[in-house]
Amino acid sequence: MNALLVICGLSIVSLLAEIANFKKWLTAIVILGLAAAAALLVQDWNTSVSYFSDMLVFDNFALAFTGLLAFISILWFWMASDYFQAQPHHRTDRTSLIIFSIVGAVLMASYNNMAMLFLGIEILSLSLYVLAGSNKDSLFSIEAAFKYFLMGSFATGFLLMGIALLYGATGSFDIREIAAFTTSHADTLPSFFYAGVLMLLVGLAFKISAVPFHFWAPDVYGGAPTTVTAFMSTVVKIGALAAFYRMFAIGLPSTHSTWSTILMVITVLTLVLPNITAVYQSHVKRILAYSSVGHVGYILLAFTADPTGASGVVYYYLASYAVASIAAFSVLHLVEGNSESITIEYFNGLFKRNPLLAVGLTIALLSLAGIPPFPGFFGKYMVFALAIAQGYTPLVIVAVVTSLIGVYYYFRIIIAMYFQEPQQATPLPVSGAQRALAFVLIILSFALGIFPDAVLSLIQ
Amino acid sequence: MLNVFYFLSFLAVLSAIMVVVSKSPVHSVLYLIITFFTIAGHYVLLNAEFLFIVHIIVYAGAIMVLFLYVIMMLNLNTETEAHKSTMLKFAATICAGLLLVVLVGSLKGTEALPVNAVADEDLGSVQRLGKVMFDKFLLPFEISSVLLLAAMVGAVMLGKSEKANDIL
Repeated sequence: MNALLVICGLSIVSLLAEIANFKKWLTAIVILGLAAAAALLVQDWNTSVSYFSDMLVFDNFALAFTGLLAFISILWFWMASDYFQAQPHHRTDRTSLIIFSIVGAVLMASYNNMAMLFLGIEILSLSLYVLAGSNKDSLFSIEAAFKYFLMGSFATGFLLMGIALLYGATGSFDIREIAAFTTSHADTLPSFFYAGVLMLLVGLAFKISAVPFHFWAPDVYGGAPTTVTAFMSTVVKIGALAAFYRMFAIGLPSTHSTWSTILMVITVLTLVLPNITAVYQSHVKRILAYSSVGHVGYILLAFTADPTGASGVVYYYLASYAVASIAAFSVLHLVEGNSESITIEYFNGLFKRNPLLAVGLTIALLSLAGIPPFPGFFGKYMVFALAIAQGYTPLVIVAVVTSLIGVYYYFRIIIAMYFQEPQQATPLPVSGAQRALAFVLIILSFALGIFPDAVLSLIQ
Repeated sequence: MLNVFYFLSFLAVLSAIMVVVSKSPVHSVLYLIITFFTIAGHYVLLNAEFLFIVHIIVYAGAIMVLFLYVIMMLNLNTETEAHKSTMLKFAATICAGLLLVVLVGSLKGTEALPVNAVADEDLGSVQRLGKVMFDKFLLPFEISSVLLLAAMVGAVMLGKSEKANDIL
């Protein structure tokens, strides 16, 4: 809770930076503030306190996810410092909108009442609608914002209707009370309860961009400014998956039989479709967008296999995915420069132009593809092991095949970096901060891969 | 009481159909206003006075003015209305029909619930609402301020000109 208040305060501070004229120090202040918030989380570890008549519960799950959100946000601000400096306008507004959406993500990871879930999702989404369209000169950016806004409002409608029906059936917004009620009244639940569960599933599946509710993702990820895309595919995804997990693992485990089949179908579609579509993409941002949709499929596989026991695996997978994504997008952002859309040819001969970036991107892509010894491999391995232990072998076979397809399109970029002649032979200059970030991300990737247990045991 | 309910429901359904059927967008909006008022009438019947007032202020007031304003700005009228293909109309009818089936199907189960669910006359009063809002739902109430602030910052950011000579 204290961490949440600190992050809320940071957003006000960043708005004040415009008036009080300390814009130059803003990124540093935000990073320090987020680090302070993460430190406050450590204090609350193992306490599991609920606040304001059970609106928010900071149990270990919520604390771990909030910590991950804060950590990835710090990396993101580090990565985006160049972007903020290059923007003459609305620097403070952009920063505060990002922090607002972090607040939304934290609420989504720690809610215990569906009113807070709704507010969290709305705070997160509303800030992102604006950020997706923040490059006002680009038609793609405006298109992304508009699509995201329309589809997002539509999904919110489903979510609200689902919450209302669940409230009508159980008489509570509290997900623990709903769980207790559905266990004790299992036989007398009205049929609109199940309609509510289905609508909730649709609303949340949209937010985590699971197929077939993913159609907005490639356009929005491709059109939004690259740094914002990086934010969307890491912090936003962590928040949305945490919300999904809480809702179904804590709130609706006793009605598992009603939604597990639907979720299984969604899982298979999310594994197969984006991985195949990504093969036919030439724009790197769209490839990464489809790959991020595909990774949701692996997380859903773990969740389908064991809804209540998968939290550790889901957490580790998200952590490894987020670190690799930040690394990939930070290189993408530097290679892209001022151009609007970036194809694979941009990466031709990157190894000759800037070896550090090329190595960083290679490690990130290998991790995303799931090649040992990088964390992506262990994430996938644990997901598959969990699913096989629960008897979901056919789904695992599908997942293995799709991850092999994934290797193909990740390697297209890697091959371009090492074996193609560069379009411009000039070296790519990179600022000291970005070089340091690349080093940190490479070390993090190795650390996560060598010591997966440290992360995995946090919330198991 | 039941007669009022039937009258309001009839009016609501009729004006909702007119929203879809009428050719001119302005007429559609006017019919939509009638729909909102009749639905607001239902809230009174359910003892939800606060919801009644909010519904009229927000929907019939603010949102409808926004609609009319947009129609005026875009200068929409019957001639400029895009003609949709038969295929699209067909698909839309099927989708809406399916949604109707789902809703009817899920509402069928409600027969089992007691009819006089509203035991308390005072249930939807402003006093009750205020007490709940500032007691149990205090945190959502306060967090809404973050949502509104984010919306405000976003609106300013999208609306403000970014040309160099426009900086104050």
